[in-house]
Amino acid sequence: MAARVLQQCVRSLGRPSLRLCPVNLALRAAVAPAVPVHRPFSSAADSRRTRWLGQSRISSVGLLCRQYGDLPPLTLETIKDRVLYVLKLYDKINPEKLQVTSHFMKDLGLDSLDQVEIIMAMEDEFGFEIPDAEAEKLMTPEEIVQYIADKKDVYE
Amino acid sequence: MGSRLPPAALSLKQFLQRQKVLGVYRSMLRTIRQVPDEADRKYLRGWAREEFKRNKNATNQDAIRMMITQATNHLEELQKSLLLARS
Repeated sequence: MAARVLQQCVRSLGRPSLRLCPVNLALRAAVAPAVPVHRPFSSAADSRRTRWLGQSRISSVGLLCRQYGDLPPLTLETIKDRVLYVLKLYDKINPEKLQVTSHFMKDLGLDSLDQVEIIMAMEDEFGFEIPDAEAEKLMTPEEIVQYIADKKDVYE
Repeated sequence: MGSRLPPAALSLKQFLQRQKVLGVYRSMLRTIRQVPDEADRKYLRGWAREEFKRNKNATNQDAIRMMITQATNHLEELQKSLLLARS
């Protein structure tokens, strides 16, 4: 029964190949009746399956391709935009007062716990960990951008 | 010759304690990141924030030390639960 299901799957796979290589089909169809009828159902299904598979294998060679994934390259501009975007989403920051050079504690009135939260949000956004010692020194968006550009080897 | 530091500067012990508090807060946030459900994460972050902000203005060093120990215990509990939940 599983063989029958598999056969149907492969048949639906091989259907587009039918139009592409009708000659092959005629050949195979000529060969198929040669299979003796008294063979058990599973092996007949196997031979039919390999026939379909053979066809689909031949036609879909052009469709097989490798796909790689990667992030878009970082530039200083994109880093700055992303940092400011994350900061604007933070509920304790007033988006109008936010500048690249605004100091978290002196200009925006945040405290050290908020600064820890902000650096955590940056870690989440850019996908790498920032150690404690360096994190506590980052007090403006400008410094954050510089630090990330340092770590990610982005220079212009 | 008087001290050149501004009056609001912390003593060494206070400075170290402050660093410890921030370290515990950071570890807490990192551990909360590993919680599987998003709503739970939000709730725990809000809870941690509230707890730390509530005691922000404490000045008694011993009280602060007790609170740091309490926070570390909570953190370890959370880490153990996560480990159990994962296995």
